[in-house]
Amino acid sequence: MRAIAIARVSIRRIVRDRTALFFIVVLPVIVILIVGAAERGFTTFRVGVVDLGAGQAGRQLTTAFEHSSDLAVSRYATLAALRKAVARGELNVGVVLPSGMDVTEGRGGTVAVGVMAEQANSSQQAAATAVSSVIAGQGAKVQAARFASVHGSGTFEENLARAGSLQPHVAQVGLRSQTADSSHNVLPEGFSYSAPTMLVFFVFLNALAAGASIIETRQLGMYERMTAGPVRRGTIIAGETLAYFTMALLQATLIVVVGGVAFGVSWGDPLAATVLVALWALVGAGAGMLSGTLFHTPEQASAIGPTAGIALGMLGGCMWPLAIVSSTMRQIGHLTPQAWAVDAWTSLLSRSGTISSIAPQLAVLGAFAALFLVSATVRLRRVVA
Amino acid sequence: MSLRADSVLRVRWWLSFTSDGARCRGPAAGNGDLVPIVSTGNTAQVPDEPVLRCAELTRRFGERLAVDDVSFSLDAGEIYGLLGPNGAGKTTTIKMVCGLLEPDGGTITIGGRPAAGDLSVKSLVGYVPQDVALYSDLTARENLAFLGRLYRLHGALLEERVSEALELTDLSDRAGDRVDSFSGGMKRRLNMAAGLLNHPVLLVLDEPTVGVDPQSRHAILERVQTFGRGGMAVLYTTHYMEEAERVCDRVGIVDRGRLVAEGTRRELVARLGQRDRIELGAAGDLERLAAAVRTVPGVESADTADHAVHLVAEDGRRILPAILEAAERAEVALNSVDVVEPDLEAVFLHLTGTALRE
Ligand SMILES: Nc1ncnc2c1ncn2[C@@H]1O[C@H](COP(=O)(O)OP(=O)(O)O)[C@@H](O)[C@H]1O
Ligand SMILES: [Mg+2]
Repeated sequence: MRAIAIARVSIRRIVRDRTALFFIVVLPVIVILIVGAAERGFTTFRVGVVDLGAGQAGRQLTTAFEHSSDLAVSRYATLAALRKAVARGELNVGVVLPSGMDVTEGRGGTVAVGVMAEQANSSQQAAATAVSSVIAGQGAKVQAARFASVHGSGTFEENLARAGSLQPHVAQVGLRSQTADSSHNVLPEGFSYSAPTMLVFFVFLNALAAGASIIETRQLGMYERMTAGPVRRGTIIAGETLAYFTMALLQATLIVVVGGVAFGVSWGDPLAATVLVALWALVGAGAGMLSGTLFHTPEQASAIGPTAGIALGMLGGCMWPLAIVSSTMRQIGHLTPQAWAVDAWTSLLSRSGTISSIAPQLAVLGAFAALFLVSATVRLRRVVA
Repeated sequence: MSLRADSVLRVRWWLSFTSDGARCRGPAAGNGDLVPIVSTGNTAQVPDEPVLRCAELTRRFGERLAVDDVSFSLDAGEIYGLLGPNGAGKTTTIKMVCGLLEPDGGTITIGGRPAAGDLSVKSLVGYVPQDVALYSDLTARENLAFLGRLYRLHGALLEERVSEALELTDLSDRAGDRVDSFSGGMKRRLNMAAGLLNHPVLLVLDEPTVGVDPQSRHAILERVQTFGRGGMAVLYTTHYMEEAERVCDRVGIVDRGRLVAEGTRRELVARLGQRDRIELGAAGDLERLAAAVRTVPGVESADTADHAVHLVAEDGRRILPAILEAAERAEVALNSVDVVEPDLEAVFLHLTGTALRE
């Protein structure tokens, strides 16, 4: 009961703080809106195409690239220009359509379509996969056309055109399922990207900032006053933990609700999402309480806390997917709890993951929560004494 | 006696003052219809035991002995003052009594029961810390309601206690205002109100009037006296001699961690015998003046504080001319000479050799 009284007063004070309310309620919604509107394209790969005289087959493949929602296609006049664009990183991959491609295809020979990538990071691999699957889809049509012209009526060209027109009904299915693989390691676009990452981001950041309230309570002499009464230190710590957990949970719930209602975000498997949100709130509660015992003044906590929250958010993939950074940065990123939380959301939103598929991430987050809460408790016992 | 014309502006003789025996113990005038809090009584109170007994309390901070072998006790309805300068160890003593600091040695019993780590004993005590401890962004009522809940008060009883505490500290009309809009004196009164919520058997007040306007100070002192009359035991610390004289039934004089003397005002003053306290106000080198008057036969101790030299002398009125001569020899121009009837300040100076500073 006394722990609840302590939690209530802590929450009341945070809620009464207008600045805190802005950071908790207004800012997340604005950022989700802006980031959601701006960050489209982590799953769209930039592909350059140079046609060295590939004829109709080449034009069809280029059109197929352009029809793929995963690819943004630019055409290049020369091989050198394409090479340069790949080298500069303007393109994820370059595709070279060799001369005489339609002739070779018509004969049933093997066509080598050149795919260029500068360095093998995961986004280039994903882009190459996306390109390959379009080529594979086109290959299937070529085979169908050859089959038709050999065993049925019409010329190869006529049948290839017919296979192309049938594509939406037949080949599309195979194409989709293959290209979907390439975007498995990033969140969907738009608000489905910004809402979960900003949930991870703001719950943690605001918890760190809220550490100021513990410092203030200590400086005001309130812990001393409480312990002069019939209140154990453990009760005070339980009360503060409850307060920080509740605040983190409210913050997360707000984003889930606003994301779902206003931005149409589907949060994936409800059980898995609930467990993930609760666990993340625990991580935030622990981090917030720890910040309340690490800093010396409320000003420090409310200045350094958010800065640390932003830095960890960047490292942990809240601002951009870790799939597009180098593997070293990705490994460093996974030292933050944020990366594991974003990974878990990616599984739930992009791969229809369930609680068992995010079990590894939940385990790591559980370990982070335990680490933060235990060290915060140990330090808070000293603060309260 | 040869005095320069301007050297003595006035010589005051304080002959009339009320003796402490005459201190009013009846119902306070102007109390309205407020009923002073009467401790609801602790069923666990061991009969014939004092409400608070401190025995041989000792506490160190590193090398510094903050409290050194301090023993005292106090009964229900008694107001006991710890009087001493800053750093004497008053707060340290009080924090040990309230279970906020572990003593290095000695024992504390409250109502006959050892205080250490016993939550039910803690709920008998009301603690009013030296520094105001309140949430400045909450209202007065919210602060009190929160603190009351820590004493397991709730519902109608909680509301009643909160209203009562606000009324006792004259804050009822500001109950809904945030504490950060309060004046220093109002904060102090609310700080005190928070110590009354649980109807304590023992009320502990640590310098409750520091930095308070005269009106609030008067109100606080008045109220504390009412609590004593209501049967509460009050432990009161201060470095203001007048406060100790005014509100306390008994005073313990503390200096550098030691309780150097204890008793009623009359008992303490009696220790002075025929001694008087003399205050020499001067503008010049006070240390030199103090050194000069120490050489006068009959002067026991002299110390500088608050732009004056304070001295205790055997039969001060008789040796006053010699003191004035010494001042002249030291070439320090006096601008006032007060011979003060024996008071606690004189006792303090007599016992410790130092003057109580503001
Ligand atoms: N937490 C502490 N750490 C170190 N020294 C302390 C601490 N608290 C008090 N002291 C020292 O103990 C002595 C007594 O302090 P205190 O009890 O606050 O005196 P008072 O309340 O009479 O002014 C002082 O010398 C003070 O500096
Ligand atoms: Mg003190």
